[in-house]
Amino acid sequence: MSEHQLRVDWPACTAHGLCAELLPEVVSLDEWGYPIVDGSVTSEVLALAKSAVKACPTVALRLIPSPPRPQ
Amino acid sequence: MTSATTALPTAVQNEEGLPPVVSQGPALLAGIGHGPGLHAHRDRIGPAPRLGAQELVELAREVDLRGRGGAGFPSAIKLASAARRRAVVVVNASEGEPASHKDVALMTCAPHVVLDGAAAVAHALGTREVHVVVPSELPSLRRIVEQALRERAIAGERLRVRLHDAAPRFVAGQAQAVLQLLAGRENLPVTARAPEAVSGHRGRPTLLSNAETFAHLGHLARVGAAGYAVHGTADEPGTTLLTLRGDGWDPEVREVAFGTPLTEVLAQDELTRPLLLGGYHGTWLRPGQLPGLTVSRKGIAAAGASIGAGVMLPLAQGWCPLVRTAALVDYLAGQSAGRCGPCRNGLPAMAEALQDLVHRGGPVARVEELCGLVRGRGACAHPDGTARLVASMLTRFPEEVDSHSLGTCRSGQPGMFG
Repeated sequence: MSEHQLRVDWPACTAHGLCAELLPEVVSLDEWGYPIVDGSVTSEVLALAKSAVKACPTVALRLIPSPPRPQ
Repeated sequence: MTSATTALPTAVQNEEGLPPVVSQGPALLAGIGHGPGLHAHRDRIGPAPRLGAQELVELAREVDLRGRGGAGFPSAIKLASAARRRAVVVVNASEGEPASHKDVALMTCAPHVVLDGAAAVAHALGTREVHVVVPSELPSLRRIVEQALRERAIAGERLRVRLHDAAPRFVAGQAQAVLQLLAGRENLPVTARAPEAVSGHRGRPTLLSNAETFAHLGHLARVGAAGYAVHGTADEPGTTLLTLRGDGWDPEVREVAFGTPLTEVLAQDELTRPLLLGGYHGTWLRPGQLPGLTVSRKGIAAAGASIGAGVMLPLAQGWCPLVRTAALVDYLAGQSAGRCGPCRNGLPAMAEALQDLVHRGGPVARVEELCGLVRGRGACAHPDGTARLVASMLTRFPEEVDSHSLGTCRSGQPGMFG
């Protein structure tokens, strides 16, 4: 099962918080409104993650394929 | 062995306004008694080494040479990654850390040892493009490098070098910040899309290391693996530069062989006090841990710390490690570039929570929470390094944390760290 990681470009992020609205399964917000990414993006929420990446007003989110798990 | 001790030009000063004392060392600092000139340098060690990329990578692998900027990344891997078309060489002599002076000391007392390394790496990578980044707050160092480059040009050892002046702030020496400076943008960290050895300056493979690392590469290329391993241990060959008491009253830069016991590096009374190892982004050690330790990446890692860029800060007599940490975090919060939200907001909050804990018995849970909130959430290592310092304070000094929580401080009492 392929997983993805959500990466934040921290200097670009200005805490709009759309990612947490669109992908609460993976993203919550800290006390200042910046995203806390918890865990991988599974295939079930991949479509939501893609919409969060597209919706980010400052283009601060990227989805990258997870490296293969070490055995 | 003749001994040589030299004080740096007065422009090379720490925050107390004192130049560090630099002692003669076994390898990189072996020739400082003869001055920084090219003639004396060539008389002593002969011509600059010229090796192919593969040879240099093999040598670096054989002695397990690590970068001396703090992260300890294997130089062989970096070299091998950068050994492609149109590589760029960047010598970083801008120490953002106020407690580190070893790169400036090396560049001042032995500029040709560093430049030989840069020339060897440039030759091995088949490039002529070399950049040297110097701290803008030390114009005297820029003049020393310019003079050294003139000497090389006159001697027919032309090395095409561009000098850059790094901004006087903690995060300016960070690799991505240096690449921004080279590109003519503000000297601040940005998010890395790829390691700079793969895609660095103008998207080209870039061998960016600090000045000491280049000096080791030049020395290694000249003397070979066996010659390099004359100093150090079988497991960790060679030497390393240390800055002792870099922000204190008697700062000192020393080159020591790996395996040297800390009892030979620190003064007797310093061994009875807590030690901040690895600088302001470093880790506290309790005095009880010090006598058994040697200058060793692996041994120090086993003690739960990191040698980092070789900064050793014994706590001053009568100071409380919590008060010192809180003051350092105040400074570090002010050094945030302010670009990444968690660092811009989290470090001042952490500084406040620490002041609250240390001076007003505030909750330690808030400090722990903020450590977790800033870790891994920035373009550079500044939030992580600050959290590491604070976390090590909480781990190493639980009794002191408890007494501060109760509004008292036990520091200065004899034997309290035993």
